[in-house]
Amino acid sequence: MRRFLVLLKKELRELLTPQMLVPFLVAVLMFAFLGSILSQEEEKTRSTQSIGVVDLDETDTSKSIERALDNAGFAAVDLGGTAPESMTEELRARNLSIGLYIPEGFEAQVDAGRPADLQTYAVVRSFSLMSLGQTEMLKSVLSAVSSSISSQLIAEGMPGTDPDAVKHPVEFTEHVAVGTMEAPVPLDAVYGLIEQQTLFIPIILFIVIVFASQMIATTIASEKENKTLETLLASPITRRSLVMAKMVAAGLVALLSAAAYLIGLGYYFKGLTGGTDTLFETSSGTVDVASALGLGLETVDWMMLGTTLFLSILIALAMAVIIGGFAESVKSVQALITPLIILTLIPYFLSMLIDIESTAPALRAFVMAIPFTHAFTAAPNLFLGNQMRVVLGAAYQVLWLLALVVIAARIFSTDRILTMKLGFRRRRHRTANP
Amino acid sequence: MPQAVLEVRGLTKAYGQIEALKGIDFEVAEGEVFALIGPNGAGKTTALRVVATILRASAGSVSVEGIDALKEPDRVREIISYLPEEAGTYKSMTGETYLKFVANLFYADPEKRSAALERGRVIAGLDERLGDKSGSYSKGMARKLLLARTIMTEPRLAILDEPTSGLDVLNALEVRDIVKRYAKGGAAVLLSSHNMLEIEYVSDRVALIHEGRIVDTGSPAELKLKHGADTLEDVFAAVAS
Ligand SMILES: Nc1ncnc2c1ncn2[C@@H]1O[C@H](COP(=O)(O)OP(=O)(O)OP(=O)(O)O)[C@@H](O)[C@H]1O
Ligand SMILES: [Mg+2]
Repeated sequence: MRRFLVLLKKELRELLTPQMLVPFLVAVLMFAFLGSILSQEEEKTRSTQSIGVVDLDETDTSKSIERALDNAGFAAVDLGGTAPESMTEELRARNLSIGLYIPEGFEAQVDAGRPADLQTYAVVRSFSLMSLGQTEMLKSVLSAVSSSISSQLIAEGMPGTDPDAVKHPVEFTEHVAVGTMEAPVPLDAVYGLIEQQTLFIPIILFIVIVFASQMIATTIASEKENKTLETLLASPITRRSLVMAKMVAAGLVALLSAAAYLIGLGYYFKGLTGGTDTLFETSSGTVDVASALGLGLETVDWMMLGTTLFLSILIALAMAVIIGGFAESVKSVQALITPLIILTLIPYFLSMLIDIESTAPALRAFVMAIPFTHAFTAAPNLFLGNQMRVVLGAAYQVLWLLALVVIAARIFSTDRILTMKLGFRRRRHRTANP
Repeated sequence: MPQAVLEVRGLTKAYGQIEALKGIDFEVAEGEVFALIGPNGAGKTTALRVVATILRASAGSVSVEGIDALKEPDRVREIISYLPEEAGTYKSMTGETYLKFVANLFYADPEKRSAALERGRVIAGLDERLGDKSGSYSKGMARKLLLARTIMTEPRLAILDEPTSGLDVLNALEVRDIVKRYAKGGAAVLLSSHNMLEIEYVSDRVALIHEGRIVDTGSPAELKLKHGADTLEDVFAAVAS
C-alpha cells in the first residue's frame, strides 16, 4: 500500500504537468467565457426590444397598433415620415432590427372588411444562434398587431361580447404522461426540461472518457519511449499496484477534469438557456414540471447514474492500459486510441439523435454491445422509470471491466508489455540463429 | 567457494520463433563481479532481463539468494537492482526527486531512506545539477544518475547492462571503481559490456556467450591462457568467429 501511494504520487506528478493541464484549463475557461457572453447577449435582446414605426395613416386604428406593441412589451420608436425605400437605412442608422410601415388608408381597408396592408422590415446583422430571437420577435409583433385589430373589429361588430372569448373559444389543458407519472403541464415544457437535464451528461462523459484514456495510454507509452519502463518493472512493485496506480491517477485527474468541465459547461448552458426554470403556470396554479412528472432524479437514481458513468470511465481506462501496452511511442497513442473514441462516439451520437430501443434489431444489438451505450442511455432511462435497464446495463459493464482488467494485468505480468508491438518490428540485431 | 547469490540453470528464452537463449548455466558468488561478453545479438541483454524478472524464461531456473525468481519475482525484486542497456529517467523530475522516488519505493524507514538518498547523491556526483530537471541532462549525466539509483538501494545482486556506455573516460573509470568496490562489500554484480579493458579490470569471472550459448567461462587470466591470446579482445575474436 505504501509503495502504491509512492507510485500514485509519481503518476499524479507526471500527469499534472503544465502541458497536460493548460489546454484543459483553457477549454474550461472558454466555456465559462462563452457562457457569460451568451447571457449578456440574452440580456441585450431582452432589454432592447424596440420597433421602428412609420405611421402615415394616423388614425385611431393605426394608433392602436402602437398601444398593442406597448402592451406586448415592445417600445415603438417613431420614424416620422420615412419613405419605404429608406426604411432599412433608417433602421440601420438607429440600430433597430425590425420596423413597421403603416401606409395611408390602413384604417379604411380595415373598416371595409378587407385584409389591410402593412409592411414589415427586418435587418439581419448576423446568423448566430442569438439572432434567431429576431424571428420570434417579429412573430410576436405581428400577432400583437393582428390581435389588437381583430379585437377591435369584434368589439365593434358584436357589442357586449368579450373579444378574447371569441378568439379563444377553447381552453386547452395539456396532460403529459412520462413513465408512470402524469401531470397537467405543457408538452414542450417537458421536452425542454429533459433536453436541459440530459444534454450535459453525455458531453461530459464523452470528454472525460477521451481525456482519461488518452492520459493513461500516454503515460504507459511514454514509459516505453523514455525507457523508464524496464527499471520500473524490475522495481519492487507488484504488477497489480503498477496498473492500479496508473488507473487511479488517470481516474482522479479525469474526475477533476469532469468537475471542471461541469462548472464550465454549467456557465455555458446557463448563458444559453437563461438558467433552469422548471416552474410553469397552468390553469390550476403553478406546477413544478420536474417533480410532477418524476423528472427529477432521486438519490438512488443519482447513485445508479454515477455508477454507470464511473464504470464507463474505468472501462475506458482499462482499454487504454491495453492500448498503451501496444503503443511504442507517445505519438502512436493518438492513432491507437481512435477506435476507442469511435466506440464512444457511436452511442453518444445515436443516443442523442434516436431512440436506440426502437431501432432495427441488428443495429440495436450492436449498439447495446458497446459498454459505453449503457452510460449514455442511463439518464433518459432513469427519467422514464426504466431503472431495471440501467441496472442490467451496469451489470453488463461490470463484466466488460472484469474481462479487461484480467487482460490488462496479464499483459503487465508477462513479457508482453516489453515485447508487444503493433506493426513492423524494428530490431537492432540480426537473428541469432537464422 | 563463497555462497552463490545468483544461480542460473538451463535457462532458455525464445521470442516467438527466435531462440535468444538456448540453455545457459552460471552462478555469481558473493563479492564477485561476473561479466557476460559476446557479439551483438548473442543474448546478453536477454539473459540480464530474465534475471531482472522483467522477462519470463521459456525453461530453466533462476534463483537469487535461494529465492526462485520465476515463481516469486516480487520477492526477488526486493533484493536486486537493474540498470538496463537503454534506460531513461522521468524527464520532468529533477535528479534529486528521482532518487527520492526510488528511495521511497524501497524503504519505509525514514532513516534508511535518507541514508540511501545520500549514497545516491554521492554516486551520481551531479552536485548542483542534481536540482535540475533530468530532461536537461546529457547522456552521461543521466547514465550516472541511473547507476546511482541502481547501487544506492544496496541490492544483493546488481544487474548492469553496459553500465559505462556513453560515459567519458574519467566517469567510466569512476564507475568501474564504484562497481568493483560495491561487489567487494559483499554483494554480487552481474554485468555485460563490449569494452574488454573494462571487463579485464572489473570482473572476477567472465562468460563468453555466442548465439544463445555460453561457450566458455573463467577469469580473464584463465581465458587468455586457455585460448593462447594476449588480450581478452583476442579471446573474444577467437570465440565469436
Ligand atoms: N523484443 C524482442 N523481440 C524479438 N526478438 C528479440 C527481442 N529482443 C531481443 N530479441 C532477439 O534476441 C536475440 C538476443 O538479443 P539480445 O538483446 O539479448 O542481444 P545482446 O547480446 O544484448 O546484443 P547487444 O550486444 O547488441 O546488446 C537477438 O537475436 C534479438 O534479435
Ligand atoms: Mg544488449
